[in-house]
Amino acid sequence: MTGKPPLLEIRNLRKYFEQNSNIVDMLLRREPNQVQAVDDVSLTLEENESIAVIGESGCGKTTLLLTLIGLHDITDGEIVYKGKSISEFDKPDWKRYRRNVQVVFQDPFNSLDPKMTIEETLQEPLKIHGIKNREKRVRDVLEHVELNPPEKYLHKKPRNLSGGEKQRVSIARGLILEPDIILADEPVSMLDVSTQAAVLKKMKELIEDFGVSMIYISHDLSTVSYISDTVNVMYLGRIVETAPTEQILADPKHPYTEELVSAVPIPDPSHDRQRTQMSGAPRDPVNLDEGCRFRDRCPAVIPPDDIEISQEAYREIIEFRELLQRDEVAFERVMNTIDKSYPDDRKMAKAIREDYFTHDLTGENGAVLNEALIAFANEKQDVAVKRLQERFKSICETTPPTVEDENGWCVACHHYDQNVADLQVEQPKTAQSD
Amino acid sequence: MTEPLLEAEDLTVQYETDGGMVTAVSDASFVINEGEFFGLAGESGCGKSTTAKSIIGGLDPNGQISSGTIRYRGKEIQDYTEKQFNEELRWKEIAWIPQSAMNSLDPLQTVSEQAVEIGTVHTEMSETELREQLKEMFSIVGLQESRINDYPHQFSGGMQQRAVIALALFLEPSLIIADEPTTALDVIMQDQIFKHLDEIKEKLNTSLLLITHDISVIFESCETVAIMHASQLAEYGSVDAVYANPRHPYAFMFKEAFPDVREPDRDLEVIEGYPPQLGDEIGFCSFVDRCPWATEECREAAPELEPVDDDDPRHVAGCFRKDEAYEMYQSNRLSSQSGDSTTAITSEDD
Ligand SMILES: Nc1ncnc2c1ncn2[C@@H]1O[C@H](COP(=O)(O)OP(=O)(O)O)[C@@H](O)[C@H]1O
Ligand code: SF4
Ligand code: SF4
Ligand SMILES: [Mg+2]
Repeated sequence: MTGKPPLLEIRNLRKYFEQNSNIVDMLLRREPNQVQAVDDVSLTLEENESIAVIGESGCGKTTLLLTLIGLHDITDGEIVYKGKSISEFDKPDWKRYRRNVQVVFQDPFNSLDPKMTIEETLQEPLKIHGIKNREKRVRDVLEHVELNPPEKYLHKKPRNLSGGEKQRVSIARGLILEPDIILADEPVSMLDVSTQAAVLKKMKELIEDFGVSMIYISHDLSTVSYISDTVNVMYLGRIVETAPTEQILADPKHPYTEELVSAVPIPDPSHDRQRTQMSGAPRDPVNLDEGCRFRDRCPAVIPPDDIEISQEAYREIIEFRELLQRDEVAFERVMNTIDKSYPDDRKMAKAIREDYFTHDLTGENGAVLNEALIAFANEKQDVAVKRLQERFKSICETTPPTVEDENGWCVACHHYDQNVADLQVEQPKTAQSD
Repeated sequence: MTEPLLEAEDLTVQYETDGGMVTAVSDASFVINEGEFFGLAGESGCGKSTTAKSIIGGLDPNGQISSGTIRYRGKEIQDYTEKQFNEELRWKEIAWIPQSAMNSLDPLQTVSEQAVEIGTVHTEMSETELREQLKEMFSIVGLQESRINDYPHQFSGGMQQRAVIALALFLEPSLIIADEPTTALDVIMQDQIFKHLDEIKEKLNTSLLLITHDISVIFESCETVAIMHASQLAEYGSVDAVYANPRHPYAFMFKEAFPDVREPDRDLEVIEGYPPQLGDEIGFCSFVDRCPWATEECREAAPELEPVDDDDPRHVAGCFRKDEAYEMYQSNRLSSQSGDSTTAITSEDD
């Protein structure tokens, strides 16, 4: 190893926003909510490397990118470019950084100025940075992105180009300043599949030819292998797994990555893929507590050591408790199913249990659930939540540490607390306790 | 043989524009049976949405069915008036999940109010019955029944999408037309929605015309696939037949353009060029400018859909060279793969 610092290092980066309050919040003078868009993210980008950040919409990918280019203040943590933190940048540093870090946006239809010709579009950044020899550079870069011959394109306006051609122009604009880093936000998601492949291939070649590094941001796992060697999987503001692309596709470790990979459709009718077992959507990243961000949907959420309960039964409890905490239990609907002439909290608790729980719970587990439901039936929601929390506390309610193996494979999940390799996959499916 | 649910025969749809007539669908024929999931694929602008809109009388005002017939349960509907569509077909027979489902709910009404409004126009059911039906559909698509009384903005994006689907389904139509229903969604949400559609099919034997640019979704979820290129139906048949034995050059190149996470290294097909401008008459193969196997003949007439010789009797392709092109393609692909590696070696020597 040389002593040279990485090209770009993101250290424990946080970006929180204050959520706009609605009218009710204002009337009640509530504190504004914290949106935890990027929450303790660390990434390293080496020279000539292409890494991907993959996650569902809303997971914080675009906020991460905008923070990287200085469009958002940093809430906490550091972005270090060639050894210098951007919080210490002076004006010339910023100018150098802006030139060396370029963005290719998702939508080629909106990111090009419709009034400018391709030549004007590509000359503009050169002018801004006072670079000479502009005509030659424009031609060269057009050739590189395979808009050949350049004369055919120089005087066209964006509306006369196909989607694939427009995206090539955006890439050319990203490259023309010969940056060190390209940040690409869903660069091919608006393109038809027949051009997607070509554009991705081209980007990959350019990384190699120009010695550029890239952070590729996308929700799409199916094409990531064509562009990035390493994948970071992001969920609700955090990176949950990092690994070499081919390995993560073949053998995802984190329960969320597993779900994500297994939900990718396979273009082969004879392949029998199981539909996802997940329900619901990610939570809003608002006022999150400690703990694993995925625990309300995680099929492998870990029951406490000191009680005996099957994985499925435990999942139901955790899911129900989340609904309870978010005030989303359909009380009225369930009440409509019972005879309301004698409001009896036991009857109500039973009805809720029958509605929300398919697994039998006996012994202490069953007793605690019943107490909680009776509390809920008596409109003591807090008591209900507390009761369930006490008995059914999961280690997943604490933040999982990120563990790393010698090949740089990182996972943040309590199943891997010791070691990336050591998932005790099958949760104990023991009989009920008594 | 039972009667097909929907048949399109030589369907041609055109738009009147400032630049003259634009043909968006040219001589397309296909059949959708009861309980069948039928996928229509192709790149943007090829005429998928136009095909779908023509079936339910939803074409833009400058669009028209210029020739051909559409039959629903044997009855010709291509000349139906707005009133006939409303009284006989929309919602209770054929429901529509639009491309931008997210924006298709009225923000000022709760979902149940919208349902009651639709139900009162199109059926004799009482308000209570309609609400019960909607509740049932909510639970099928995985939404809490109590939420039928929510306003659209109270749902997250994925939930809105499901609410739209529930609304499309609640009068138990025989055919659902879904135009890119999951294109804006992430894979997990997409998979959840298809899980619900699978369930609905199982419970109600509903048919689906699924329009998407993503052939992976069709291969997984449909029995039948049709592939369109620039207004023409290139090929259609059972997903197994089209997958194993594709004949139209666009169909097999399109299929090879899709990535497969099982083979992250596979070379993806690139289809060069772009579709032609489509004028009044399409008297040629619309793939001719992009097709590596094109000959003069392909410019002189539009190829007809003809049976492909395999064990799927519905499998047809519209290409003059359908019996040779695929073979040439496959042997070419094999030799070019070995060719690639030789060039790589030589260039390293330089
Ligand atoms: N209202 C319209 N007026 C004129 N042309 C239209 C109109 N709607 C669609 N088209 C054209 O018809 C063709 C097919 O479009 P469409 O059916 O929307 O394709 P797809 O759904 O496959 O993307 C395209 O060339 C499109 O530009
Ligand atoms: S920490 Fe717990 S909830 Fe989070 S992914 Fe791992 S098992 Fe699931
Ligand atoms: S060979 Fe001719 S008819 Fe067949 S797809 Fe190519 S251009 Fe069309
Ligand atoms: Mg469309």
